[in-house]
Amino acid sequence: MTATALSRRAQDWLPAALVFAFGLVAWQWLLPDVVHVQRFLLPRFSAVMSTFWIERSSLFAAGWFTFKEALGGFVLGCSTAFIGALVLARWKPLGRAVLPYAIAANAIPIIAFAPITNAWFGLLSPWSKIVISAVLCFFPVLVNTLRGLTSVRPESLELMRSYAASEAQIFRRVRIPTSLPFVFTALKVACVLSMIGAVVGDYFGGSTTALGVQIQSSVALSRYETAWAAILVASILGIALYGSVALAERLVVGWHPSTREHRE
Amino acid sequence: MSTIAATIAGRAKAAAATRSALSRGGVLALVLAALWGLWEGYRWLWIATGWGWPFAVDDITMPHLHAIVAQLFEPSRTGGPLLISVLFHSAVFTAKEAVVGFAVGASVGFLLGVAISQFRVLQRGLMPYVVASQTIPILAIAPMVVVGLGNMQVAGWTPAPWLRVAVIAAYLTFFPVTVNTIRGLQSADPRALELMHSYAAGRWAVLWKLRVPSAMPYLFSAFKVSATASVVGAIIGEAPSSIPDGLGGAIINFNQYYALAPESLWATNLVAAALGITFFLVALGVERVAVRRAPEHLA
Repeated sequence: MTATALSRRAQDWLPAALVFAFGLVAWQWLLPDVVHVQRFLLPRFSAVMSTFWIERSSLFAAGWFTFKEALGGFVLGCSTAFIGALVLARWKPLGRAVLPYAIAANAIPIIAFAPITNAWFGLLSPWSKIVISAVLCFFPVLVNTLRGLTSVRPESLELMRSYAASEAQIFRRVRIPTSLPFVFTALKVACVLSMIGAVVGDYFGGSTTALGVQIQSSVALSRYETAWAAILVASILGIALYGSVALAERLVVGWHPSTREHRE
Repeated sequence: MSTIAATIAGRAKAAAATRSALSRGGVLALVLAALWGLWEGYRWLWIATGWGWPFAVDDITMPHLHAIVAQLFEPSRTGGPLLISVLFHSAVFTAKEAVVGFAVGASVGFLLGVAISQFRVLQRGLMPYVVASQTIPILAIAPMVVVGLGNMQVAGWTPAPWLRVAVIAAYLTFFPVTVNTIRGLQSADPRALELMHSYAAGRWAVLWKLRVPSAMPYLFSAFKVSATASVVGAIIGEAPSSIPDGLGGAIINFNQYYALAPESLWATNLVAAALGITFFLVALGVERVAVRRAPEHLA
């Protein structure tokens, strides 16, 4: 990398870095001292950080407990949705009939069903959060995968048919590769939803070792610094999951223009 | 002659519309029947065989669907109003939070999107954070915001509970709208841009006459996501601080009596689902009226 390229890159990132610095300054001094934002609304940055550092082991233990639930829900929900989309794409009339309902199901506040999964699997069982996360992930992945599988160019299908390719071969060689960019878009949405399912599901009750329960009880006990530190942990884990999916996307569909676009 | 032809064409059109509405209604009935069959069949099979995996099925975990619907028309407490009327009032309360939140969030999101797209410095400075905010579970801060704003006093004024919840709804609405506004404003056809430049059109003319109209499909797909998100935000915002007047409060309340009357919680969740779908359908309807030229963005 030449010096000009380096300085151009620095110029690209300078505004973002400045905003970051300004954000920290505002959080630490401007909001509490000038605007008089009280600590129950947003505690000082340094207070959140020191709480984060002091309670890091218990916070990350809770985070890891919740992250496993989110990951379980993500894997369960996305894989069922992918298989469901394959089935629906294979039998087109069925897919056409079901698609509007899957889209409508996307509009249901599914997370509000968390008390019901609690009742099904038991309040303390991780399965209650895994299943609500899975259901949250299911519909976006189903809808997007189905769109991807059916948005194949007709010429490609004709070409495959002219080679006397079987339906299974068409799926393997044309439909699934074409659908992958759609699938990854949905997976990125789903990984955020899975974290939301695991954390917010706790707000309707859950094990005290879980992150969401700790957030809620910290707020109830006016330990706002702990609550924000727990949000920080949830965000770190959320970004880690999102980053892994984005990385997998680059490795798997690096050839596709939509991923190359992100790289600029 | 032409009027007769027009009448005939109109009639044929109306007949076709009726037929498609009928077939849609048929599919809807079929899907509902299939869901009902799946639910009752699953229930029957698990109870008959006594399977305990993934969870034990009984009247508590999976009430009869007809019992859930019947519960809506039972009094919510002895001598009280019917459950459906109680839930209707809760739904109106939650809808108010969601609508106010949506309106504020969508306007702020749109204006911020316009500002970001117009100034490169803003784009470089803010865009990474707008994108990063999509990767974290924002909904999780609901308890802090609702409880925190409840402790706030500005000249002796504390925001009403519904207003605090509306803040959550606004917050969830805002991000998708910002992201899609920026994407939409940048999606203007380059040839049209060149044409505008060749007419020496000013920055504002290009923005309002070309960029904003071409952003409409993007904007509306964000509105559809946000309409749902605002309902989720309103329900979840009520839950952790137990604001009793809305659906979130009703869910918390009936959750405590789940072992006694599971149908009530299920019925509440049915109403919540209906509210979410209503918001989505309204956004879809407005889109169909406003964006006629973009069939690929309809579904």
